[in-house]
Amino acid sequence: MMIKRLINWFLSQPIRIKVLAFGVIMSTIPLLFISYYYYSHVKADLEVRILDKQELMLQILSSEIEMEFNQTFQQLQIFSSLKQHEKNKAAFYELLQQNESIEEVVVTDHKGFVEKKVSRYNLNMPESNEQWFSDKMWLDFQTKNKVYGEVEFNRFGQPVMKLAIPYVENGNRKGIGVIIQLQKTIGHISSLRQEDSAYLYLMDREGNVIAHQDYSKLWQKRTVEKDRNVLGLKTEISDLGWTMVMEQPAETIYEPINNMFQNGLFAVALVTLIVSLISIYAGLYFTTPIIHIEKGMNHLKAGKRPSPIGLIRHDELGKLSQAFNEMSEELQEKSLRLEQEKERLNVVVNGIGAGLALVTKNYNVTWMNPRLSNWLSNEEIQLPCYTLIGGKNVPCENCPITCPDIEWKGEMIMSMNRDGGEDKLFRHRVFALNHAIQDEGEFLVVIEDVTKQKQWEEKIIQTDKLSALGLMASSFAHEVNNPLATINAYAEDLSDRLASPDDELDMTEMSLYLSKIKENTERCKRITSNLLNFSRKTNWTLSQIDVNKTIQNSISLVESSLKKKQIQLKIKIAEELPLLLGDSLKLMQVLVNLINNARDAVEETGEIGVEVKAEENFVSILVIDNGCGISKERLGKIFDPFYTTKPVGKGTGLGLSVCYGIVEEFGGTIEIESKVGIGTTVKVRIPVRNKKREEVQ
Amino acid sequence: MKTKWYFFILTVVTVSVFINNYFSVHENTPFKVGVLMIGDSRLEKLTGLKKGLKELGYEEDAIDFEVKNAKDNQGLLDNKINELLKKKPDLIVTLGGVETIALKEKMEEQKIRIPVVFAGVAAPKETGIIEDYRSPGGLFTGINNFHTGLAGKRLELFHELVPSVQRFHVLYDKDVEVSVLSLENTIEAAADLSLQILPTNVSDAEFEAKLSQNLQKNDALLILPGFRIESLIKEISQFSKKYKIPVMGIYGDEVEEGFLASYGTSFFDQGYQAARYVSLIIQGNSPADIPVELPDSIRFIVNPKIKDELGIELNNDLMDIADFIDDESEASQ
Repeated sequence: MMIKRLINWFLSQPIRIKVLAFGVIMSTIPLLFISYYYYSHVKADLEVRILDKQELMLQILSSEIEMEFNQTFQQLQIFSSLKQHEKNKAAFYELLQQNESIEEVVVTDHKGFVEKKVSRYNLNMPESNEQWFSDKMWLDFQTKNKVYGEVEFNRFGQPVMKLAIPYVENGNRKGIGVIIQLQKTIGHISSLRQEDSAYLYLMDREGNVIAHQDYSKLWQKRTVEKDRNVLGLKTEISDLGWTMVMEQPAETIYEPINNMFQNGLFAVALVTLIVSLISIYAGLYFTTPIIHIEKGMNHLKAGKRPSPIGLIRHDELGKLSQAFNEMSEELQEKSLRLEQEKERLNVVVNGIGAGLALVTKNYNVTWMNPRLSNWLSNEEIQLPCYTLIGGKNVPCENCPITCPDIEWKGEMIMSMNRDGGEDKLFRHRVFALNHAIQDEGEFLVVIEDVTKQKQWEEKIIQTDKLSALGLMASSFAHEVNNPLATINAYAEDLSDRLASPDDELDMTEMSLYLSKIKENTERCKRITSNLLNFSRKTNWTLSQIDVNKTIQNSISLVESSLKKKQIQLKIKIAEELPLLLGDSLKLMQVLVNLINNARDAVEETGEIGVEVKAEENFVSILVIDNGCGISKERLGKIFDPFYTTKPVGKGTGLGLSVCYGIVEEFGGTIEIESKVGIGTTVKVRIPVRNKKREEVQ
Repeated sequence: MKTKWYFFILTVVTVSVFINNYFSVHENTPFKVGVLMIGDSRLEKLTGLKKGLKELGYEEDAIDFEVKNAKDNQGLLDNKINELLKKKPDLIVTLGGVETIALKEKMEEQKIRIPVVFAGVAAPKETGIIEDYRSPGGLFTGINNFHTGLAGKRLELFHELVPSVQRFHVLYDKDVEVSVLSLENTIEAAADLSLQILPTNVSDAEFEAKLSQNLQKNDALLILPGFRIESLIKEISQFSKKYKIPVMGIYGDEVEEGFLASYGTSFFDQGYQAARYVSLIIQGNSPADIPVELPDSIRFIVNPKIKDELGIELNNDLMDIADFIDDESEASQ
């Protein structure tokens, strides 16, 4: 858990800290491993060497002591082998001279009393009945050839020891004894300089320390115990029963390697310091550009202009910095462009005459421009688009929001009753946005106020209609005139025959006259009512159109003018035509205009054909003439308003333009094929729509 | 900020380790040993001391000697002691009794605590330098050259060497405590041995005249320890030759100068033996714990040339154990 936390903490550190840690770990861990290896290796080696050295030293010293004592016993043996008369003072003195450690030489009798004595320091006068042996020595003296006394002190506090050997003289077991000064041996052992705090000590057979380099430990009872903090060896001096011990405290044994270890630590610390410096430099070397770039990024994020990173390097970081500088420059430029675009767009969006709105696929309006806001009241903004804009309760038919797959021309006219009570016409188009963010408006709705445009269009249509009527006026007059003349003739004839009684005038004859008058009156009425109907100014009214009837009505309007020019009209109407949806009067106006144009193009006695047939989903109406035709140059302009080839007073130039507008309104097409001198064929295709009955009504 | 702290701590650690290493390396500075001597006669002790230390494993650079020599001028000794104490040595080696007593006084007066090794003092306990032979108890320890205790033995040996001597004139210095103590020892021994002794005080300016007036046939001269007596060796030798009196001294150089014999430890041996004490104290022992030692070796030296000059007979028993003066020069090498 702790390690995991530590790792997480480490991972959260900046790169320079990681580089530092990496450098330090990489430099110190191998060094510590190597140091530890050598430390343990050298430690073991050192122990072996110390023990070897101690063993050697103990051997030398113990053999020295052993040799010294053996030598003394040898000297005593030699002395004992002397004949009685030879054991004079000179022999005694010689013994003293031979061995500097001997303080005193005595010869004892069979009871252990001193017979003769020669001393190095004192007078050679034995005390009376001086018992030289201690009890223990005396006991040993009876059985052994070499007798060792205890370590004791003389009156000057010097450590001394008695040695004796027995010899037989004249049947008596006598003894030769010496007092040996131990100070030289002890002093030598004690004062021998030892390296590294090693120390030597010597214990007698009772376990008393008789020599120690630390004099405060002298004459204490001691047992050699294996102390863990001490490295040591012991050796026993045979016969004498002494034990010599050499020990060295662990802390001094390991002092050299501890020093080495300290030096190692110093090296580690120094290396860590140097590596840290290098790592910090390396860390900064690597991270400074990143930090600069991060700062630059933050500046960019905050919308400020970052100062360029002045890093002249040829490595990846240098290239990164350069790329960042270029990127930020480009971003700045693009931001500026974007601002400009935005400004333009704002001007356009706010200044455009159209209303704009963003609509989600759930029909919610998320944004609208001020123009549209002005058209709507504020509380309505919560409503779905079809209610808010179209005033409907359900989405519009074929709305691209509902059916994104359907190809929609994207145009729909609708009327809205605004506050002023005035009905206005709006055209709205819906565009799917490819890069929209979900729920922020995936569709743009463009709403245009087309009320005035529609009014103008209506006016032009009416103008065109009246113009056509004007042009047809003489024909109409002529058409009306004929029945009127007929009526007049019948009426005058009847009047004359009534005035001059005529028997032949019976009821049947009279009925015939009256029926003729009625028939011609009906004809006049039909002509005028047809004319009135055509000239009526109407708005676009939706109804089911019987194509046949409409064509007949249209022909009846132009028939007289055709007759006048003796033009032959050939009508070919297919049976069982489907009903069309639209304004029949407007379709009539199209046909009248087209036939009038054909009439004008055709020479006298020419031919005009009207063909109506049903195609798949379409009803096509063809107006064919064998007139002068239209040149290719003119063909491109003929739908332009006020473009006319007719002489002044013959046409307004609005006819075909109005036809185009009406056919567009029907959702159909109008095409003209013409060859100069051969004739012209105008093909109008009106789509068949299955409107719901309610809508039609 | 973290980085700064890191560097601060790291630098402190490095410097600490460096300083620690530096001091542990410089711990082994030479041991400073002060040496105090009354005059050039003691130089042999210094030679012995140096040789002893070398044999104990101390190379020359291990010990730094600060030697102060009073050139046989007791008045100068105090100045030399003051100079030495100012140097604050780790240890002082005194090469004789006079120096030791004077140093003890100065150290007590100035309340200075430095371990002192005396390389041969005749009666350290009796003169109050130490409390006890086995545990000296103070700052002083060293070698009891036993010249006081040996005085009686020397009388016995002298008597055995020259059996014809009837009376022993004993030269002592009344102003020197050791000398007086030696006289007491000699008187005791004379009583035990039933010998006649005649003490003469050398601090008496007319001792020589008095002595010469008091001479008889078969008289001999026994010299007791005392620095004044030691400085009178030449005069005593001439006196010996003049009046044909055998003289028993203490040191080999006295025999070289013209004494018949000497019995005692040599200056060289005392210095050599003192090296052990220096080593023990260097190794951390307290002088209070280190027992005072008797001399390792006592030499009996005879000058056969003087025997011939004096025309006396010597005991052959003793002649066997004596070092002769010709051998002495070899022995001291």
